[in-house]
Amino acid sequence: MSRGTQCLGSLLDYKMFKYLTRRIIGTIPVVILISLLVFMLVQLAPGDPADMLLSEEATPEDIAAARERWGLNEPIYIQYWKFLLSAIQGDLGTSFRYADPVLTVIADRLPATIELAFFAILVAIIIGVPLGVWAGARPNSWVDNIGSFFGFFGISMPSFWFGIMLILIVSGFLNLLPSAGRETYGVSGDPITGFYILDSVLTRNWAAAVDGLKYLVLPAIALGTNMLGILMRVTRSSVMEVMNEDFVRTARSKGLGERVILWKHVVRNALIPIITVVGLELGTLLSGSIIVETVFAWPGSGFLLIEAINSRDYPLITGTVLSYTLMFVIINLTIDLLYASIDPRIRFEK
Amino acid sequence: MKKYFGNIGAAVAVVSLVGGITMSVPSHSKMRVAVGATETVSSYNPHGDSISMGYGIWCQVYGCLGYFDFKTGSYKGMLAERWETDKKNPNIWTFYLRKGLKRHNDGKELTSADVVHAFNRMKTDPQSRQTQNVKHVAKTEAIDKYTVRVTTKKPTAPLLEFLFDRVMITSKDLFDKHGAKTADRKYPWGWGPYKLKQIKIGQQIALEKAKGNVFATSSMPDELIFRVMREPEQRVTALLNKEIQIAQFIPPHLASRIQKSANSNLVPTSSVELMFLAMSPKYKPYDNPVLRKAICHAINRDGIIKAILKDQAQRLDAPIGPGQYGYNAKEAAKMKVEYSVAKAKAMIEKAGLKGTKVELSTPVNRYVNDKQVTESMIPMLKAIGLDARLKTPEWPTLWANVQKGKVPFFYMGRGGVVDPSPAFAQYFEKGGSPRIGWSSPVVDGLLQKERATFDPTERKKVLNQAFAEIVKQQPACFMWRHKLLYGISKSLAYKPTPTGRIWGADMSAN
Repeated sequence: MSRGTQCLGSLLDYKMFKYLTRRIIGTIPVVILISLLVFMLVQLAPGDPADMLLSEEATPEDIAAARERWGLNEPIYIQYWKFLLSAIQGDLGTSFRYADPVLTVIADRLPATIELAFFAILVAIIIGVPLGVWAGARPNSWVDNIGSFFGFFGISMPSFWFGIMLILIVSGFLNLLPSAGRETYGVSGDPITGFYILDSVLTRNWAAAVDGLKYLVLPAIALGTNMLGILMRVTRSSVMEVMNEDFVRTARSKGLGERVILWKHVVRNALIPIITVVGLELGTLLSGSIIVETVFAWPGSGFLLIEAINSRDYPLITGTVLSYTLMFVIINLTIDLLYASIDPRIRFEK
Repeated sequence: MKKYFGNIGAAVAVVSLVGGITMSVPSHSKMRVAVGATETVSSYNPHGDSISMGYGIWCQVYGCLGYFDFKTGSYKGMLAERWETDKKNPNIWTFYLRKGLKRHNDGKELTSADVVHAFNRMKTDPQSRQTQNVKHVAKTEAIDKYTVRVTTKKPTAPLLEFLFDRVMITSKDLFDKHGAKTADRKYPWGWGPYKLKQIKIGQQIALEKAKGNVFATSSMPDELIFRVMREPEQRVTALLNKEIQIAQFIPPHLASRIQKSANSNLVPTSSVELMFLAMSPKYKPYDNPVLRKAICHAINRDGIIKAILKDQAQRLDAPIGPGQYGYNAKEAAKMKVEYSVAKAKAMIEKAGLKGTKVELSTPVNRYVNDKQVTESMIPMLKAIGLDARLKTPEWPTLWANVQKGKVPFFYMGRGGVVDPSPAFAQYFEKGGSPRIGWSSPVVDGLLQKERATFDPTERKKVLNQAFAEIVKQQPACFMWRHKLLYGISKSLAYKPTPTGRIWGADMSAN
């Protein structure tokens, strides 16, 4: 590597570092604002955690004692201030319902959500992108029609309905896959990372890996289908656009094969909008997982959030929403960084 | 294009392979019963929850003093062999523990010190959601190694309703040595028939039969798995494809899928949850007893049970029904409120209440077909001349407001009513709770009297007097008790309990 290249590399690294620092600092007020918003909204919503979490046999005295214990009798601004001070120190409080630190409760469930989202993206990318490329390369052909059918099917299908249909048909009628849950009792060992498939592979427990996949397939399809549809449509448009670029004509005139042109040159240049959509859809996947996790009894953070809202577990609601916010921020940042590695013309100066 | 087909073909082959693998189900030589449950426990702490199924789970692990046996209609001892009340001082109860009960894993014997510790823990543990069950208890003492004396603050005839299968007997030595958190998580050892093998909160709980345990009979399942499946479709599908053997709470519209199945049965069981319409006299126009009575006459309960609940409910003539403590068919017949539109209409007109606005609040998807049931009540109320509307707030909102006595007219259920004393004191006795906000000195006196009456015949008589007085004043119209539908695999012999607790002891292989 020449000295000049090294200098350029260092300059780029420095610019990237500056850019990253600016972005990270920029997220702090966003996170604080969201925490304030969530905290206020949750507190303003009717319903009381003590009413929801104590037995229906609880007396008014029991309810009053619980409110006192959970600090609910203090003014909202004091509660928020205490929350903020603890949050800065990495403590999001203790869940009313689970009586465990919020971070522990979320950390227990988050791997399930990430695992599900990962496989849903996999389903969407593996099927959606090739379908879109084929459809974009041959507009109005039968391949395009089939691809478009899948695209529109994915976009228009509500995930909760599609999930229930998958349960009824694949689990109920065909009896191929389990209808709900994440694992069969007694198959897996002790968790290492919390990612079931990864843990199974790490411990070479292949039966557990297969068991985990078996439970993953339906929710991943239900969650990934919408993204699949969008990806297919975006890829198709992007490929169609790039196919008309001058460099494609040049490549053809140079005698390159259609396959090489399509997969090596066109797809690479069509990737930017696809990555943007994947980034945006990742966020949607997380929020979509709230519904899919409920339909499939998937023990992830979406299911947890629903339970927290139903029981008015304020610290857990705030903590879960904040963890989602942070994930959004991280995803957006990663996508921005990916742009540069795909298209070197993109710089981090602004 | 052939290559494309080749790729697609390869993908199909991979999917088929995975599909093939997934169809192979691991075989178990042990008898495993999996239950598709709407909820399980949310804490390792046996007193940290307040759900019916949780009581059953913890009681089978740690052990409890006893439980209500619906087969015999009486309380049955578990860790307590027998019990008695002091003839001279009705505040004193003595419980005699079974001797020689060995704890899971280390065989330590159950002693009265453990029972005293469990009572104290339930009362003082900040995580405890069961403090109300020991509120009547002033003192718990170990008289000797196997005898515990419980002193109540006031004579409390229904004490067993509060204590049996509610107080989980956790180990004093493990608690003292490790503290509550570690003891609950790492040493959940008890004297019940099952060992706790796994808790994955929000996912599943696994119990394994404790070998050599005195309560663990050979016919009981070796493993009991409680899997969280909130959606009824999930539970039904999982039952039909044999993922689970018991599916809890099947809604009537899904019953036919199980009835048509070759491998499962639909088993109804009357719940002990009373469904009622409550009318708070704190608010106008519900302060008018004529209006309250007219509303009760206007509701066609039989019609609703038949058309909307598909006959999966049992009409309540009195505030309680068959099988519940104190039920008397003759007395109940006298309390029956007849369905009569003409009578109700005449009452409304005579009282000058025609066109009065009434707003009925109902939960949605909390109870079986609750919204449909209450929707059907609106035209019934309109038919007697009321301007009736339905309100469907979200459950947490409705429940919080009901708890605070802020909802004038609502449809609600009260579960776990085996002995009706606590529930009726809560809803209809002064100081019980502000939920309905109705009380009468006569009913207060009768409820206090029944709690101090230890002779069962006399106590039932007093309870029925209280019921009659409540029905006369109609602060609530008692509707029905739902029949809870369970889907049960034909490979399993099991009769569900009305309380929703699921006991391995009630199961055997078919």
